[in-house]
Amino acid sequence: MRLITHNMLKCHVKNCTDPDKQFPLRFKDVQLEQIDAERNDEFLVRMLPRIDWPALSKTTKELDIILPETVPGNPENDEEFLQALHTAILETHIKQGSMLCDGCGHEYKITNGIPNMLLAEHEI
Amino acid sequence: MKEQPLADTLQLSEADKEDQYVHQVYDEIATHFSDTRFKAWPVIERYLLELPVGSVGADIGCGNGKYLGVRATGDIFMMGTDRSKALVDICAHRGFECQVSDGLDLPYRDGAFDFAISIAVIHHFASPERRARAVAEVLRVVRSGGSVLVFAWALEQNGRRNFDPNTQDVLVPWVLPASKAQCPASRGGSPGEGESAQSKVFHRYYHLFRKSELQELFEQVGGCTVIENGYDRDNWYIIAQKI
Repeated sequence: MRLITHNMLKCHVKNCTDPDKQFPLRFKDVQLEQIDAERNDEFLVRMLPRIDWPALSKTTKELDIILPETVPGNPENDEEFLQALHTAILETHIKQGSMLCDGCGHEYKITNGIPNMLLAEHEI
Repeated sequence: MKEQPLADTLQLSEADKEDQYVHQVYDEIATHFSDTRFKAWPVIERYLLELPVGSVGADIGCGNGKYLGVRATGDIFMMGTDRSKALVDICAHRGFECQVSDGLDLPYRDGAFDFAISIAVIHHFASPERRARAVAEVLRVVRSGGSVLVFAWALEQNGRRNFDPNTQDVLVPWVLPASKAQCPASRGGSPGEGESAQSKVFHRYYHLFRKSELQELFEQVGGCTVIENGYDRDNWYIIAQKI
């Protein structure tokens, strides 16, 4: 699972609705792998509105990944920013581990890069 | 003799029906099913090719990931979810981004995506309420102004399948050749079957959509404007924009 995906995920357990807690999910015991991917600057700049930046910033800090605190004014001209963003969201893969919800404590497991986001019947 | 669709007379709860006649079946037939799902349908291909660079989207019920690779890598980003772990494994093996998830309860934040597609999926939900909930989930995860494309099997079909025009809830056979079984010896078949060289027939539950039913469903769920609707390859389809 890439970090871009993680940025879209939230805890969806019934009654877990505090937006400050259910997103982003907190990583636990993760194994990361960096896999090179071709960079497309037009894609990176145009897709920025989809990224929840505070969440990405919080998550990358937890994983010791370098990323600016805020998006620069002219991201399209900022080589360092674009490379850091590209590496963080598209080249960083979480292969094993889990994602915890700070709100309800639910643990979503990641196995071979695949998150299991299914819930038990009482959690729906 | 060719296996025919059956009218659904199952006395099961909706969740159980989906579990036994959708989820478990896809997990059993995943590889064989994937082998038969390779050609992108033109309407869907066109929709994906017309998306602007930078689009981020969800494929809900992505199956073997057929549509996850239509656009060149790096152009747009798509992530898939499917209820079948076996199918998600196939997606991952092909290098696509995917998770195991139920379409009734997507793990995404509201308005996360520019677009979402759900191709030949919502006909597997076993009640009008569940189908409405599935459509609501598809709409929930796209941003205001984003678009969704949904395909569902039609009652009115021109192809190989013969459906009784008075029966919308059906069990459709899938013949799994012995050579293509996921786990040849692990599933209990009928007594005495064991590791035979026989093919096995599975039945999948479908609610076939009659003309205008898909549009009515979207109008009922609301929060969207229908942009396009039509019939293609035995399916009704709709493109809608989230308000």
